[in-house]
Amino acid sequence: MEFLLSIWGYFQANILTKPAFFVGFIVFLGYILLRKPIYEAFAGFIKATVGYLILNIAAGGLVTTFRPILAALKDRFNLQAAVIDPYFGQAAAQAAIENVGKSFSMMMQVLLVAFAFNLILVIFRKLTKVRTVFITGHIMVQQSATALWMVIFCFPELQNNGMVMMLGLLLGTYWAVSSNLTVEATQDLTDGGGFAVGHQQMFGVWLTSKIAPKIGNIGGKKSKSLDEIKLPGFLSVFNDNVVATGTLMLLFFGIIMTILGPELMATIDDKYKVESSFTFYILEKSLTFSVYLAILQLGVRMFVSELTESFQGISSRLLPGSMPAVDCAATYGFGNPNAVTIGFLFGALGQFVAILGLVVFKSPVLIITGFVPVFFDNATFAVFANKKGGLRAAIVITFLAGIVQVLGGAFAASYFQTAQFGGWHGNFDWDTVWPVIGILMKNLQYVGVGIVIIALLAIPQLQYFKNKAHYFEAAEDYDAYKAAMNK
Amino acid sequence: MLRVIAACGNGMGSSQIIKMKIEKVFKKLNIDVKIEHTSIGIAKNQAPSYDVVFCSESFISTFDSAAARGTIIVPLKNLLSEQEIEEKIVKYIVNKEA
Repeated sequence: MEFLLSIWGYFQANILTKPAFFVGFIVFLGYILLRKPIYEAFAGFIKATVGYLILNIAAGGLVTTFRPILAALKDRFNLQAAVIDPYFGQAAAQAAIENVGKSFSMMMQVLLVAFAFNLILVIFRKLTKVRTVFITGHIMVQQSATALWMVIFCFPELQNNGMVMMLGLLLGTYWAVSSNLTVEATQDLTDGGGFAVGHQQMFGVWLTSKIAPKIGNIGGKKSKSLDEIKLPGFLSVFNDNVVATGTLMLLFFGIIMTILGPELMATIDDKYKVESSFTFYILEKSLTFSVYLAILQLGVRMFVSELTESFQGISSRLLPGSMPAVDCAATYGFGNPNAVTIGFLFGALGQFVAILGLVVFKSPVLIITGFVPVFFDNATFAVFANKKGGLRAAIVITFLAGIVQVLGGAFAASYFQTAQFGGWHGNFDWDTVWPVIGILMKNLQYVGVGIVIIALLAIPQLQYFKNKAHYFEAAEDYDAYKAAMNK
Repeated sequence: MLRVIAACGNGMGSSQIIKMKIEKVFKKLNIDVKIEHTSIGIAKNQAPSYDVVFCSESFISTFDSAAARGTIIVPLKNLLSEQEIEEKIVKYIVNKEA
């Protein structure tokens, strides 16, 4: 017994609480369970572990690069600042978690419990009415990180295992229920494409599909469709994430550092001397954010592709015919290519207006536009909105979504205190649904968690109640569903 | 062996799905491939040194210059449809080489 305990102790100290090796171990185990040859399992272990170590360097780099700017903002204007972007959010959550002395490994444990719980909800779908399995690996990592910090923040006394179990159930419920909410809208958009959205803005997609027809038909005048307009070609350079991120960072940090001025930056950042060019310091500093983001994504890509493949393998083996919930970008092929650009453009406009509002009304937290929410959320909303309500709906909804992203993000970064580490998750559901969940958890503790899980589980029941006869057909046999709906 | 790159906005989610799906279809068609996945931005620079690029129809214009230099660009509408992928592999790759 003592021998076993010492093995467990060794395992816990060196693998379970060291995220890099834990991730590698999980991938190794996954390959063995999927009966892959041992050398492939070994390769998977190496790639996942190296990927995680790369991510670690980049997350640290993002936070360190940001630190002097945050300090200067604090010093001069008593302001905090956060980039609303899930990668910045993940880095900030990791920094916050490690700052209170907890292991970031719990993020991976939460992820596994949540994925398992999503599977269980689908296995019992006759009872739960949940039709979708969330398999978007990198999103699962980001959300586990942010949600883990929220739970540590709301329940500082809770034991680690309790925390992992509780959050696993909560997050798994959110994954299952929110992606299930997009089934009808996505099937309609893709004419039975056979997938749902499993990303960061499922409640937003649902909302869009409900309000877009109304906006598209205001006063009985039907809106133009996106197909009828032509956009200037230069806008497509922003489809390139490196260009878009670099430009956004340069714009925001350029303005911020110019206002802070060379003297203050020189006293706070020892990498800058007043006699060297301030312009090129700003250029280098701003683009360094793009550098660490690119590295972070490389790391995430390396370990997540291993995870996603095994998730897909597990869910198709355990639940043949279940509907996968995947990255929102899978919907882009079904929209007009202009939709992606229009969404980005008007979402960015909404965000800029809201950020100006924060400055004018002296908000204690400044928000900086990050690439992922402004691009992916709003492009997705524009694709769905155009389908249901034309160009007008696409413009109005993405503009409003941009405002919501900034105001919700500012509230969350301040309330959950990730602004001290310069980031917040920032995608639509994390500026709306999740801050509400967080407030309930903080104030009502376990009762709050209970309310949230029950309320979430009630959503698919309501959906089912509204369309009992054809609810499951929407996912399983779209042609039959469509025929029934058109009657 | 065919060198293939799957691309999407950030090179994280959908390109991974494209990769898994085309891997399966290429295997079924007995075509030997090496597939990598990445973002549109990086793929744009790397495309000329690959044989084939798969991406969503909405990003197709990014690869005009690579297409001009002989890389085959395969636009996908439904990234998850193995049927569509198979038809397009046959149309763009198998028939082109024949």
